[in-house]
Amino acid sequence: MSIWGALAGGFIGTLVLTTALRAANELGLTRIDLPFLLGTALTRDRARAKALGYLMHLAAGELFALAYYAIFVATDTSGWALGALLGLLHGIVSATALVNVLLPAVHPRMGNELTAANSSPLLEPPGFLLRNYGRGTPIATLLAHVAYGAIVGGFASITG
Amino acid sequence: MPQALSSDNGRRYVPIRDYAAIGDGRTVALVARDGSIDWLCLPELDSPSVFAAALDADRGGRFALEPEIEAKVSRRYLPDTNLLETTFTTGRGVVRVTDAMALPDAELGPTRELIRRVDGLSGQVPMRWRITPAFGYGARTPRLERRGVTPVATDGPHALAVCSWDAGEAQVADEAIFGRFDAREGSSALIALCAAHQEPLVFPRREDVEGRLEATSAYWRRWAGQRAYGGPWRDAVIRSALALKLLVHAPSGAIAAAASASLPEEIGGERNWDYRFCWVRDSAFTLGALLELGCPSEAEAFFWWLLHASQLTHPRLQVLYRLNGGERARERTLELHGYRGSRPVRIGNDAAGQTQLDIYGDLLQTALVYTQAGGRLDRETGKRLAGTADLVCRIWGEPDSGIWEVRRESGHFTHSKMMCWVALDRALRLAEAGHLPRDHESTWRRERKAIGHFIETRCWSDQLGSYTREAGREELDASLLLGVLLGYDAGRPDRLPRTVEAIRRELGRGPLLLRYSGDDGLRGGEGAFLCCSFWLADALARIGQPDEATALMDELVTLANDVGLFAEEIDPVTNEFLGNTPQGLVHLALITAAVSISNANAS
Repeated sequence: MSIWGALAGGFIGTLVLTTALRAANELGLTRIDLPFLLGTALTRDRARAKALGYLMHLAAGELFALAYYAIFVATDTSGWALGALLGLLHGIVSATALVNVLLPAVHPRMGNELTAANSSPLLEPPGFLLRNYGRGTPIATLLAHVAYGAIVGGFASITG
Repeated sequence: MPQALSSDNGRRYVPIRDYAAIGDGRTVALVARDGSIDWLCLPELDSPSVFAAALDADRGGRFALEPEIEAKVSRRYLPDTNLLETTFTTGRGVVRVTDAMALPDAELGPTRELIRRVDGLSGQVPMRWRITPAFGYGARTPRLERRGVTPVATDGPHALAVCSWDAGEAQVADEAIFGRFDAREGSSALIALCAAHQEPLVFPRREDVEGRLEATSAYWRRWAGQRAYGGPWRDAVIRSALALKLLVHAPSGAIAAAASASLPEEIGGERNWDYRFCWVRDSAFTLGALLELGCPSEAEAFFWWLLHASQLTHPRLQVLYRLNGGERARERTLELHGYRGSRPVRIGNDAAGQTQLDIYGDLLQTALVYTQAGGRLDRETGKRLAGTADLVCRIWGEPDSGIWEVRRESGHFTHSKMMCWVALDRALRLAEAGHLPRDHESTWRRERKAIGHFIETRCWSDQLGSYTREAGREELDASLLLGVLLGYDAGRPDRLPRTVEAIRRELGRGPLLLRYSGDDGLRGGEGAFLCCSFWLADALARIGQPDEATALMDELVTLANDVGLFAEEIDPVTNEFLGNTPQGLVHLALITAAVSISNANAS
């Protein structure tokens, strides 16, 4: 088991996750765009937001890979199956709490439960299970995260 | 002149003449005189529609905004802009609606944004609005719901938010988002239709929407102010330039032939085509007009788009390309009622697969215009254009479908042969100027002579006193006027002026011209083809009849609709518009005719 393997898996897994969601966009399954959502937290410039968002998403992918690695070490187990399981959990948490609740709470341009008449949020909030972005969003998000987790787990074990 | 608008709810189809266009360089909305937006495709002009009431009043979807009581309507574009201003005068007061597609700014805004501002000018006018989005050419029923207080319509990757301020409470029902309010003197209501595609919706703030509306107006005024035209018919020329700018697909520089699809050339007929593609044929006119009007950046972008798009099929050219440069244009029919029952409703265009020899002349003429304006062709481009000339030498003797894209067996169309002559003539000129390799000059010269011989011996009729539509047939064709405009000259300079007179005599209907006599493989007839009338004015100026040309032009510009736009065709009896609108080729022909006549009068 290797931390460098987990980091490499995190990098490649994030690319795969982003690509999978982009493909789901093209297939008309969802309107979710994680780099756009992340980047607009920092800037109102649409193009810059997407570029920054990709960097932030890659960085977040590495942080989550480290968290996965910590679990691998704690359980003294790794591999694509455990990674995929963690990815599933990660996807569920993202859809129900991380992107659904936490992101709107900290995102300066997105509406949340506390938004009232004195503010005008610019961005459409994701809603429960991110379904505001299309009914196919939960399943596309879950599958993409399972793929991410499997890649992180697989890379961490191969290099070990 | 204001015209009465009934408060009748049984509206079906409005005359094509009633449509004005607003756009943002990505898509175009058609706005009827009664305030209804009956055509809008998102996110791009060639994407499926969200409003298509122009093609199906029941299922197409539209965005109505109108007084609840009877009103007289007058319209104009705000001077030198693409912002449309519709004034409703009612018994209870006057209200003005300003419509625009917003141009993006540095603020985080929607992907596409259609803005409608309602200003109360006097009295108190009850207003109503109703949005019935119908994605996918009316085939899909969207989910209507709310995000907070904002109504949204979603369907797969598409989403629309309806953001409104002082426009009454937005209601959401099964198939519509609607509201009503009173427009009082001094009041200002705002409705922004915000679109997202494959990403979350952005809900703009009122001050941002108003800021973008002002900035959009300022941009158009600035752009129109930079156009270098001081000749006659300036208003018509500048309006044409603004209409063309709406048809320019900003990311690629391609110019759509028209903003709409399947508006009929004959009411109730089958001549219904999708014009949301870029035709190579329009290229020389486009480049010439853009350069005449001082649009070097648009001209450069268009020329490079043309070379890029045609790279995949080189040395053969496809008749038309998608706005993004793609080749696929598969034609299919939609289950829509059709404008006033005109079916089939087609999207895509099978003309893409036809052989049309004239387009090679258009490409090489475009290259010549580009270089004459100071543009440079790199070595690779020069070799490609030389390859195109070589191809013309091999295929000019083949039959084709001709400029009018007949849907019957191919023929030997005179115009096509003339354009092959033009192709080789321009290749020789480009080679002499050092832009093309000179290896095959002798072949080009020999074949140019052979084409000229074919035209002069096989395509001239003593009986008609004119070049004919096809070799060996006694029919006329208005496209032969282009021989004058493009300087066809195979040693019989007396014949083109006689052809101009014959076309005017036989195909003329007042100031208008029919396209051709004879069969085209389709049932029914059609109206007068407007660009041909402008070509005639242009040709008259070039053959030394500038007074005739001026008189004709004076008549033609009055045939535009109330905001200065032209559709593809016009009924010579009723002056009803027919076909897709606004049509780029008509506006291009208007510009080039105005410039020609201006030059002829000056000399």
